[in-house]
Amino acid sequence: MDCRYCHSFVEMAAQSNVPNTQTCMNCHTQVQKDNPKLEPVRASWKTGDPIDWVWIHRTVDYVYYNHAAHVNRGISCFSCHGPVNHMPVVYQAKPHSMGWCLECHRHPENFLRPEDQVFNLDWKPDDVKPAEFVAKYGKPQGVTEDWSKRKTLSQSEIGQTLKERWNITPPQNCQGCHR
Amino acid sequence: MKRVFQHPPEPVNGKHYWRGLGELSDTPEFRQWLEREFPQGAAELNGDEWSRRDFLKLMGASMTLAGIGLTSCRRPEMHLVPFTKSVEWTIPGKFLYYATAMPRRTGAIPLIATTVDGRPIKLEGNPLFTRGKRVIVPTLTPMLERSAKPLLISTETVLRSWLAKRIRLRANDCAPNWKKLFRVCAGAFTNRS
Repeated sequence: MDCRYCHSFVEMAAQSNVPNTQTCMNCHTQVQKDNPKLEPVRASWKTGDPIDWVWIHRTVDYVYYNHAAHVNRGISCFSCHGPVNHMPVVYQAKPHSMGWCLECHRHPENFLRPEDQVFNLDWKPDDVKPAEFVAKYGKPQGVTEDWSKRKTLSQSEIGQTLKERWNITPPQNCQGCHR
Repeated sequence: MKRVFQHPPEPVNGKHYWRGLGELSDTPEFRQWLEREFPQGAAELNGDEWSRRDFLKLMGASMTLAGIGLTSCRRPEMHLVPFTKSVEWTIPGKFLYYATAMPRRTGAIPLIATTVDGRPIKLEGNPLFTRGKRVIVPTLTPMLERSAKPLLISTETVLRSWLAKRIRLRANDCAPNWKKLFRVCAGAFTNRS
């Protein structure tokens, strides 16, 4: 199931929206419709009162974070939220501290991935086929080796290619996020 | 409780540096003060089987153990509360514009309503409407912002009644020449068909 079925505006809006009950009930009128765990959802649909979703990933008010800006530029959900698809109960997998943000803003090549793999939480750099990748995105400047003959590419090689290709320069000044 | 300082050794050239006025004067009171661990009058519990040091150690340890089970130090649980049914066409945090009109006795004022997440935040004249006079209703916006009630009912219904009320208020502000000013603020297009 794609993240975007429920968090439908993540590519368009600054916030990734929390799905409303209507979205849940699109499927759960038929799938798992007697599951006791889904009782709050059914109750919400019946009464019209919204569901209180527990807020796990809380960004403090003095930080501006734009989901769309990240997701559209090859930063996966996984980079910040971890393996949500394997979590029985969602927890905060990454520290979400400022130092941790800067780790990526200083070296985005360690996290960038092809734009069609952003919502694939199980993606590994080994999944990339070098010949296809090089044909689509090219190579970073100064690389003479023929990567298309290689078996695999490393994350930093993939990231560096995409960083140069998309001209990615994440802000490292204070007002990039504290504005 | 005093700390035991590891001072550097005396220099070999025979020069002696004093570290404070007390050491320079070297009185017996100062020597005694220097050697006592706790100031005079503080309970040292020396005669008992517990020394002051042991007592503090034990109390510190018990506080630490109690702290492990403390639940009050958790981050408070907060909730995200989405709509039960979505507001049509909205994208969270983005503006949605509606072309609408305020009916008047003689016709209607063409308007553009700006809404965010289903709430109207701004009303202005519709600039695309060129047949009548261009309309600007600037004073309605703060009225909407001040509203405590969530404006989830039909935008137009709300606007209609408020606009009427607001324009009357505005007109009173503009007294005594209000009739003239009112016409400048909001000119209506009259449908004569």
